[in-house]
Amino acid sequence: MRVYIVFSVLLGILIGYFLPINIPQEYSIYVAVMLLAAADAAAGGMNARLHRQFQVNLFISGAVGNGLIAVLLTYLGERIGIPLYLAAVVVFGTRLFQNFGEIRRQLLTLSGNRNTIDKSTHNTQEVEENAPIETK
Amino acid sequence: MKETKHIGKISISVVCVILGILLALQLKSVKENGSVDDLSAMRIQTLQELLDEGREDKDRLEERIKELEEEIQAYREAAADENVGNDQALLSEIEHWKKAAGMTDVVGPGVEIVLNDSTSVNTTGEEANYLIHDSDILSVVNELRDAGAEALSLNGHRILATTEIRCSGSVVSINGRRTSAPFVIDAIGDTDTMFNALMMRNGVVDVLKQWSIQVEVMEVDELLIKAYDGRIEFRHAKTMTDAMLDEERDAG
Repeated sequence: MRVYIVFSVLLGILIGYFLPINIPQEYSIYVAVMLLAAADAAAGGMNARLHRQFQVNLFISGAVGNGLIAVLLTYLGERIGIPLYLAAVVVFGTRLFQNFGEIRRQLLTLSGNRNTIDKSTHNTQEVEENAPIETK
Repeated sequence: MKETKHIGKISISVVCVILGILLALQLKSVKENGSVDDLSAMRIQTLQELLDEGREDKDRLEERIKELEEEIQAYREAAADENVGNDQALLSEIEHWKKAAGMTDVVGPGVEIVLNDSTSVNTTGEEANYLIHDSDILSVVNELRDAGAEALSLNGHRILATTEIRCSGSVVSINGRRTSAPFVIDAIGDTDTMFNALMMRNGVVDVLKQWSIQVEVMEVDELLIKAYDGRIEFRHAKTMTDAMLDEERDAG
């Protein structure tokens, strides 16, 4: 069911591999932060969909906006001599873990639901999941 | 609801495709740039090999010089042997001038000066003030010559009439070789005169010590100073002959 994600990533890798573009070393940092922004957006989108809180306009604006801000931060950092791209790296990295954690919990809880393990633990987790989730 | 779900799937897929493209591009560029580094490392290695080769060549040629000099020596002795008596004087004459030119090992009493870079804390911020310069070495050598030094060497390199002592980067070039601190200057001559010349108030050693450059002067009873191990070539200077003198006189 969620195989489409794997497929689209693979498709992207293939396209990128055969694209006749080579990134010069000085721009590779921009590609790296955009890469992180894309990974973050994808993880956030999946998380939101699992929680049935997905909104297309939020998702698109988040993905594009975050990517732009990351690139701008990197550029600004290079201008003023501070590695500001680290901010983007830290934020996106942290959020990747967060989103992954929530996806994992949701999926495992759903499958656990079918097997009906313990009602009380399920309930506490439900409460946690109802906490506001940032969608992108 | 169905519509939204569909759009969500598509948009996530699009972002995932972009993610894949960026990932592949980044991997490619990192790989590319890594190979550039490999290339420069290879270049350094090649240059190092060339340098080693050059050094080996130099050593071999120096060996050759020694061989040839021995040959010349043999010829000279043979020539002197042919008519003994008269040429004994010639031989000693040759010995004398060889000694004067610095082409023989010499021994005798003298002084040994060891110069080393300053150990004191750099307070002026000017690194160069605390290092030994060619001019420092030159002033010591000059002082020694003034005090009647008969043979001089710096770090084992004989100082000849044509010898240069000059900064070349962080090292000092002498007779075309490079040498670096600590600098050991050996001088054969009148020990006391040389020692006093160096140590006098406001003399060379005094001035150097103001920069906390480490100067050590030792009187040595028997110093060995090696001969010049290179070759002296005259490419421009020619010996003035009587014929040339006459010519010049006619022209004048």
